Amino acid sequence: MALPWMESLPVWGNASGQPQDQAPTRLAVLFSGNGFHSTEWWAKGAGAQMELGKVLTPLSDYRERMLFIRGLYNEEALKGNIHSSQTGNLLSGAPLASGGRIHSGTSFDQLIAQRYGHSTKVPSLVLGCEKSIPGIHKNYSLLYSSHISWSSPNCPTPLELYPALAFDRLFNDQADRGDQSVLDAVLVEGKRFRQDISLSDRRKLDEYLNSVREVEQRIERAGQSGQLQGWRPTLQEPNVPRPEDGIPQDLSEHMRLMCDILVLAFQTDSTRVCTLKLNNDISYLRFPHLGVDIGHHDLSHRNNDDWLKVNQFFVEQLGYIAGKLDAIQEGERTALDNSLLMHCSSMMTGSHDATQLPVVLLGGGGGQLQGGRVLDYLEQPNRKMCSLYLSLLDKYGIHLSEFGDSTERLAEV
Amino acid sequence: MKSNVFHHWRRDCLPPVHNRRTSRVAQLGCTLICILLTAPALTADEPDSLAALGPAYQRDIRPLLEQFCLDCHSTKQQEGDFDLQQFSGLEQVQRDPQAWQKVDQMLASGEMPPEESLQPSAAQRQTLRAWVQSYLAVAARQNAGDPGHVVLRRLDNAEYKYTLRDLTEVDLDPTREFPSAGSSGEGFTNTGDALAMSPALLQKYLLAGKQVAEHAVLLPDGFRFSLRATRRDWTDEILNRLRTFYEQFVESQDLGSGLAVGYINGHVDTRLGEAGRLPLEKYFAATLAERKALADGSRNIAEVARQRGLNARYLAALWSSLSGSTPSEFPGNLPARWRAAGAQDATALAAHVARWQRGLWKFNPIGLQGRQGSASRWMEPVDPVLTEEEFRLAIPEPAEGETTTEIIVSLVATDAGDGNRHDDIVWQRPRLVKKGEDDLLLYDVRGRSAAAPGEPPWGLDRACFGKHPRCGRIDAASLGARAPSVITVRLPANLAAGRELVTTAALHPRAGKRASVQVDVIAGTPAKTCGLLPSEVTVNCSQVTQVFSAQSKLSFARPILIHKNSPFRARLLTTFANHRRLFPAALCYTQLTPVDELHTTTLFYREDDHLARLMLDKQQQAHLDQLWKELRYVSQADLMRLVALQDMLHSMGPNRDQEDSQYDGIEPLLEPLTAGAATFGEHLVDTEAAHLEALIDFAERAYRRPLIGLENDELRGLYHRLRGEELSHDAAFRLTLARIFVATPFLFRLEKAPPVPTAAAVSDWELASRLSYFLWSSQPDEPLRRLAAAGQLRQPGILADQAARMLRDPRVRRLATEFTCQWLDIYDFADNDEKSEQMFPQFADLRADMYEESIRFFADLFANDGSILDLLAADHTFLNEALAKHYGIGGVQGPAWRRVTGVGAQGRGGVLTMASVLAKQSGAARTSPILRGNWIYETLLGEHLPKPPANVPLLPDTVPAGLTARQLIEQHSSVPQCAKCHRRIDPYGFALEQYDTIGRLRKENLDTRTRLADGNTIEGLPGLQQYLLQQRKDDFLRQFCRKLLGYSLGRAVQLSDEPLLQEIEQQLAGQGARFSVAVQTIVQSQQFREIRGRQMASN
Repeated sequence: MALPWMESLPVWGNASGQPQDQAPTRLAVLFSGNGFHSTEWWAKGAGAQMELGKVLTPLSDYRERMLFIRGLYNEEALKGNIHSSQTGNLLSGAPLASGGRIHSGTSFDQLIAQRYGHSTKVPSLVLGCEKSIPGIHKNYSLLYSSHISWSSPNCPTPLELYPALAFDRLFNDQADRGDQSVLDAVLVEGKRFRQDISLSDRRKLDEYLNSVREVEQRIERAGQSGQLQGWRPTLQEPNVPRPEDGIPQDLSEHMRLMCDILVLAFQTDSTRVCTLKLNNDISYLRFPHLGVDIGHHDLSHRNNDDWLKVNQFFVEQLGYIAGKLDAIQEGERTALDNSLLMHCSSMMTGSHDATQLPVVLLGGGGGQLQGGRVLDYLEQPNRKMCSLYLSLLDKYGIHLSEFGDSTERLAEV
Repeated sequence: MKSNVFHHWRRDCLPPVHNRRTSRVAQLGCTLICILLTAPALTADEPDSLAALGPAYQRDIRPLLEQFCLDCHSTKQQEGDFDLQQFSGLEQVQRDPQAWQKVDQMLASGEMPPEESLQPSAAQRQTLRAWVQSYLAVAARQNAGDPGHVVLRRLDNAEYKYTLRDLTEVDLDPTREFPSAGSSGEGFTNTGDALAMSPALLQKYLLAGKQVAEHAVLLPDGFRFSLRATRRDWTDEILNRLRTFYEQFVESQDLGSGLAVGYINGHVDTRLGEAGRLPLEKYFAATLAERKALADGSRNIAEVARQRGLNARYLAALWSSLSGSTPSEFPGNLPARWRAAGAQDATALAAHVARWQRGLWKFNPIGLQGRQGSASRWMEPVDPVLTEEEFRLAIPEPAEGETTTEIIVSLVATDAGDGNRHDDIVWQRPRLVKKGEDDLLLYDVRGRSAAAPGEPPWGLDRACFGKHPRCGRIDAASLGARAPSVITVRLPANLAAGRELVTTAALHPRAGKRASVQVDVIAGTPAKTCGLLPSEVTVNCSQVTQVFSAQSKLSFARPILIHKNSPFRARLLTTFANHRRLFPAALCYTQLTPVDELHTTTLFYREDDHLARLMLDKQQQAHLDQLWKELRYVSQADLMRLVALQDMLHSMGPNRDQEDSQYDGIEPLLEPLTAGAATFGEHLVDTEAAHLEALIDFAERAYRRPLIGLENDELRGLYHRLRGEELSHDAAFRLTLARIFVATPFLFRLEKAPPVPTAAAVSDWELASRLSYFLWSSQPDEPLRRLAAAGQLRQPGILADQAARMLRDPRVRRLATEFTCQWLDIYDFADNDEKSEQMFPQFADLRADMYEESIRFFADLFANDGSILDLLAADHTFLNEALAKHYGIGGVQGPAWRRVTGVGAQGRGGVLTMASVLAKQSGAARTSPILRGNWIYETLLGEHLPKPPANVPLLPDTVPAGLTARQLIEQHSSVPQCAKCHRRIDPYGFALEQYDTIGRLRKENLDTRTRLADGNTIEGLPGLQQYLLQQRKDDFLRQFCRKLLGYSLGRAVQLSDEPLLQEIEQQLAGQGARFSVAVQTIVQSQQFREIRGRQMASN
């Protein structure tokens, strides 16, 4: 079949340079929209003595495993308008198409997922806590505002908003009898249509056929168990019940459930890459449980104490994930030591300032990340987000000469 | 490139183009006008032809660019990724018209050159713009009609939902758990770019397909879909259909345990089930009220029946039986009663008929039909005609606290309405009977108990016994009588209470053949003692098991004793048969199911022959038969019955000694039920082929075209492959069905790109889908499919007719929702969760109503071909009570939606006043003139603001003392870097400040007078509406058309669409801006009817 399937299937351990009997390094990227408080996102000092701005106080327990990075920016995000054009390429640094078209770049998390996805039940988990909004804002699709993970330049990775469905995606791999025959038939048929359509439509159709193929492969893999060698996760089956159907009314409960699923996915080694979009850029979430009954976007333009409270609430999610991972012992290290957590936004503050972006990393990265540091690139010539991604990709055994708009690494990371 | 440059040069600079365009106008019917656009060839003699533009570029434009632009936008600098230096001549310019659209936009908005840079003079700016616009006009005409590059479209969530609904005819919506959509093109979710696919989504599609397939109900000759997914529910659905069918004709009445008609005294739980009773009163009422008109022929039966909702066949039968020249004979002389009756006597006539029904029918419970000795029918005829009858009158014990000393009973004999000759009878040995005690003859009563002084003696004088008044001696303890006669007896309560008075009434042996006596034993004294009285039947069963046996015994009140050979007997039976024929006690068994489920192998019971005979025509009969056939098939009753029987036999097995009679009673059923099950099994196998055929038909509808190539074989092949994987027929069928729901031609709107370097017409089938997805967000319906199959849809007249038909269809609501609500940014407003619950607790309950108002307003405008300008200002809207209250509009009661006019005077009408729009463009807790203003500027008028400054100043959190919210914003917006944009948008918002965050009119008067950026001063909503309608009408219409065109094509509007947009505008101007004009012009356009060839460049 002349379809552009994934060309190679490297083995996680070998390619990343880690021994196969060691726990793999997981990656989680958390995103919150509309930036943070203009004067309370900062860190200085080092190690246990590091001082933190108020937004970051929920992370104070993890200062020694935290890397605070200041001054990075994304060149392409400065070229468009505001909001959606600042967000859709946050993890890729790619130029964004405007004027009714949608085109970004494959994000670095998905690059890792595509390289190693076959090692786990699902290649990556892309979760969200706010529904994406249809429409176009300032000549850029709002799709950009709600998708930071992109499987390909044309294809934002769909988000799962329902905790129960995310759970099912990880743990319900009961394929029904006959499913494979059905998928086969769809593939054979789809292949025929490729002949009659234009080249660009073929790309669109291939998106579909590749998806069919991938699901089929997953069914195949589900049929083969006990083949994993070396390291085994500390948990085989979920140790918590499946969440209830539907989206919880209470936002904090929704976020908490998504964080739990992320941790569970790592703990059971169902996936090693997870993106959690806590809200959209241009977000309408309200926070009655914090006593803040105003929309997130509106708040971001006010920069007051309520805004701070909401910022902290978002960062608490990162702290919660770190805490749970740190409680999971995987040999000598904890799961937090074996993970790399990143929290970022597409602007510094609510006033659309993307000339420097808020970034904080947490976790040991499997012994590859030295925490307790503050790195300030603001005055440095090489201060691109994509340079950070090149450095992070290295840690996953993906050594690229360029990514997005960068050809350099951040040596200190 | 989404751009808004056109209205500038359209107004100012564009030379008339229609003189160059071939424009054929065809008048179709009375209202439809179709315009066929043909792109003109570019010629050298046009005023702004390329020949003139080239030299002007070199002479005037290039130097201006060098002077004002190339500092930043040189090939080396490329500020903003924009290189103007590369355009060294017209030839280079022509390679990238999009770049020049951007130039035009930057000039229009004043964004470029930036303020800090050297500025061109007004004249220089004008020169630059004029040239750019002239060039763009030429470029637009050059490719006019280009279908454009349309990215392959997957069904978006709404289209998937609607398509599924139309395909299955049930409202299943698996899309709730699909990822929500993005938008591209002109901002709509139906655009290919925005519809990404992933393994996770594919899994959802597969799961959804399988779930939908679980809702397929297999039928003997195909399948349909149900809202439910279990056999039990499907069976209930058919039962409901059957009941609904029956209830068109009859009134269901629960017969209880039989007191209504017939009676079973054995088993208190034995119900007779629901009977479909004739609604006789209505029929009698019709014959009485219309008697004269029907008789003199001024009205006919059909007409009367239709008007009164009655069955014409039955009404005709009743009419002729009552009014015919030789009316039939009925007991109680019904025709005479009818003739004497007035219009108000229908109830009495119906009651009369009902009384006789109680004596002429008996009912059996439905359960073990087929068991040895059981009744074969539910309702059976009975004739209350005997030669003797035993009466047993129970005399109750007095109720507690009650003292009764005297009990009166009567032995009644009447002449049965035919005179009393020979009417001699004997009351044989009347006696008081009690179990465990000796019988007490009535003969002995007077001797046994003395009456109180002054009272008449108890019982009867012994002299009355032992003789017949006309026929001499009889048994000593019996009484003789000739009708009419009433023998009334006083009995002492202490003797009689708790006993039964038992006697047999028999014709005297010497009574002649002509004797006919109606006899009765009653408590008290009879009201009536002459004529034929209605009898009443009772079914007596002594034990539960006998409910189903032949051992039940009938007893009668007022039976007619008559000699077997009496000629009167035959006449009597004829009148009874006539009564039963025209007035069956029930027309059908509407219960449908057995009433004693513990003891049954019957799942459903059909008895509707009387209904069929009296009321149904051929078609109705066929429909009814079909329903029963489906019921039997879907419920698999023939298999279930056997299982039930086997279970029963099995459970009785161990107790055979005690249960012999029951076991033996049902054991004979085993053989026929086994055979029935086997036959049904074969039938199931036989119908498999029909399911597969139906699946192929279904695939054609799902794929929105006939199957092509291998598709048919592959579907069948998959089914057989699945059977080969040991899946049952049912499972393999469902999975093959699910496969259709993940098929590429179902999920994608595939269109074949012709192998040509130009554009070509799409096929009829593709056009049908373009049309139906444009106007209905769903698949083509049957008429469209027929026209596509006939190859006629591409004919402009037919295409126009179809578009017109589709706009009138209720499905146009989907266009109102998908197009209008997406455009106006209120999509899914019913789920909007953006308002502060503390400040607006009522919002959660109102938001769905707010959304509904908008959708109804748009759908009404589209369906009734209103003016597009009504969107800006209308004097009507749609309200229910809740929303009307919210708006402060009185006189709207109840939850029903209605069109309300005269709302203009109350500050409503059009999108500017809709709560959905006003709330959406507000903050969570306060209004936002900025948001509202920006919405009017960008969404309604299609203008574009320059990019905001890098660091917008923060809004103070609270309004400083002494400032209104408006003043605060005005202060904020007066910062020069902000004012550039805010002066263009905020004033629109200020004009709407009278409306609060959730769209209510504020009580206090706010300052809504404001000066717009163009110098106009307006005040409040009326001022804004007037301004938009008068000053900005063209801009608004242009924006509407651009959005509608983008939505219909599934792509962003491009430069080459400009002539089409002008065409639509011209048409609208001449025809009152009616919505259908825009739609018709679009569907007739090249863009809509054609597709780019495979080799055509992608721009």
